[in-house]
Amino acid sequence: MAAEMPNTEQPRVSLTRGDVQKSFWLWTFFSHANYNYERLQGTAFAQAMTPIIRRLYKDPEEIKAALKRHLVFFNTEPNVGGVIHGAVIAMEEQRANGADIDDDAINSVKSGLMGPMAGVGDTITQGTITPILLAMGISLAQAGNVLGPILYFVLEVGIMLSLAYFMWMQGNDRGRAGVTSMLRSGLLDRVVVGAGVLGNIVLGALTAQFVTVYVTLQLTIDNSQFELYKLLNQILPGLLPLAFTLMTWWLLARRRVSPIWLLVIYLAVAMIGAFPFWGDQACQSILNPFFQPDYCVPPPPDAAAFVGF
Amino acid sequence: MDRVMTARRAVGVAASISIAVFALLLLVGPAFGADGTQEGTVSLIQAILVGIGYYLSNSPWLAGNGGFFGLYRPLVAGFIVGIILGDPVEGAKIGAAINILYLGFISAGGSIPADPSVAGWVGTALAMGGGLDAQAAIALGVAVGTLGTIIFFSRMSVDAVFAHWADARAEAGDITGVSRMNWVPSQIFLFIISFFPAMLAVYLGSSVVADGISWLNDNAPWVLSGLQIAGGLLPAIGIAMNMRFIFRGSVVPYYFIGYILAVAGGVGTGGALNIVSLGVIGVALAFLHVWFSGDRTAQARGA
Repeated sequence: MAAEMPNTEQPRVSLTRGDVQKSFWLWTFFSHANYNYERLQGTAFAQAMTPIIRRLYKDPEEIKAALKRHLVFFNTEPNVGGVIHGAVIAMEEQRANGADIDDDAINSVKSGLMGPMAGVGDTITQGTITPILLAMGISLAQAGNVLGPILYFVLEVGIMLSLAYFMWMQGNDRGRAGVTSMLRSGLLDRVVVGAGVLGNIVLGALTAQFVTVYVTLQLTIDNSQFELYKLLNQILPGLLPLAFTLMTWWLLARRRVSPIWLLVIYLAVAMIGAFPFWGDQACQSILNPFFQPDYCVPPPPDAAAFVGF
Repeated sequence: MDRVMTARRAVGVAASISIAVFALLLLVGPAFGADGTQEGTVSLIQAILVGIGYYLSNSPWLAGNGGFFGLYRPLVAGFIVGIILGDPVEGAKIGAAINILYLGFISAGGSIPADPSVAGWVGTALAMGGGLDAQAAIALGVAVGTLGTIIFFSRMSVDAVFAHWADARAEAGDITGVSRMNWVPSQIFLFIISFFPAMLAVYLGSSVVADGISWLNDNAPWVLSGLQIAGGLLPAIGIAMNMRFIFRGSVVPYYFIGYILAVAGGVGTGGALNIVSLGVIGVALAFLHVWFSGDRTAQARGA
């Protein structure tokens, strides 16, 4: 990383591994401590740079300039985006040793990389690792296993911290060129595609485990009883929850219906479907297997009939 | 300045919704209180612990990631609330059910579509205090979670002030001062706006919810059935929100493989397969998929 640094006669100031690690931990802890609409993670970036500034600059004017330089607007994904901090720390070190790196150079690395790293980072951490691990923890917890939340917490936090440390040190060792080449190589794409395979399988399993459409609608024609959900399950076990989830996906992704609207609509459908209004003494409903008065003939299907098929 | 205007409008909308709901709670609360059933109320100490947990989930103190990627998630929050209220298994079940709705939750660029954390901490505590089962708790959790966004909005707005305090310290060349301005005032403010509302909502709200449920049980039991039915429908939204990101391209068929395997293997109903077996199958298939399409993935990008 010293390749682009001109030879100077000044005494060399260099950062220790400890300085870089201290900076890493300050960022990892406090990246969102003062998250705000004006500068997002701006003050957190400055806090993370304090051990670096303290080591590199002794002149009060230089300290002032360095603090102000890092108090500007900044926003990225905190774990994967740490690669930017690593690269900026390397640049600050070169600058303190006389390399021709001005404020603009440092600002352009920060503002140029924060967007791409936020996009890649959010896809990896919030969009891939988190939902897959959550889905597994949720499934275990629903089956009554308290290891679900514990395993999720340990694995998730462990993975995030390792990823963050790795990215930070990569940025510091390889600098800006290293970050760009990492973004260009197909490695990230392969990881995301592989995670997509696992994610889809897990989501399919969650659909089966958690989505239940209790269609209690039944018709009696000439003394033979037709229960709609049984007919559908004969075509494909669990057809209703699958079709219902795909319809929801289609509404959200293709028709751009807002999720809040869907929440309201589904709640309303559930309430209307729960209301018993037909049959002898109004005991039959469209969606309600939980209301089973003794006088109801024929009795509505039991709720257990919809789980496990 | 467009950003600031949007923020103000958002704060306004969130504030009016919250005030409306709190007003509704105040009006409806005494009506239920008349029944006088005290069953299921949460003690002050328990409410304080839940409030602290909710603050911690938004705080930096657990290496950042332990907050946002840990306690912030209803699965983890529900489990801890369960410990506080004396039933970790039930807490984990309720937290897990609420969490499904937030499977597609992504906070990016300072925007937040909902607050999973308050749904997990306050929602689970209210559901357990009121004796709701996991399925019926989902709708309650979501309602609380929508309210929670106001805490995020006010935090994002007020914290901008502290950035200017940091500017002043920088002007004075005060390295330690800049560092402190990032976490001292913001965390004091965050504690005030997160701990107290959550603690009060749990302490005062649990008996309201418990009374409301017993009233409904006597007068309109079908409403409670409706909550349970909604608990079967709403997870589709959380799952579909996540599918928007990954249910595309060459990996779509794996969703159907996962679904059929889970139905046939009885995942979650004590069948031959559980989620970990499906995870192993998933990793194996992911490896095969990337292995056999590896060159094509690279070619598609011209690498």
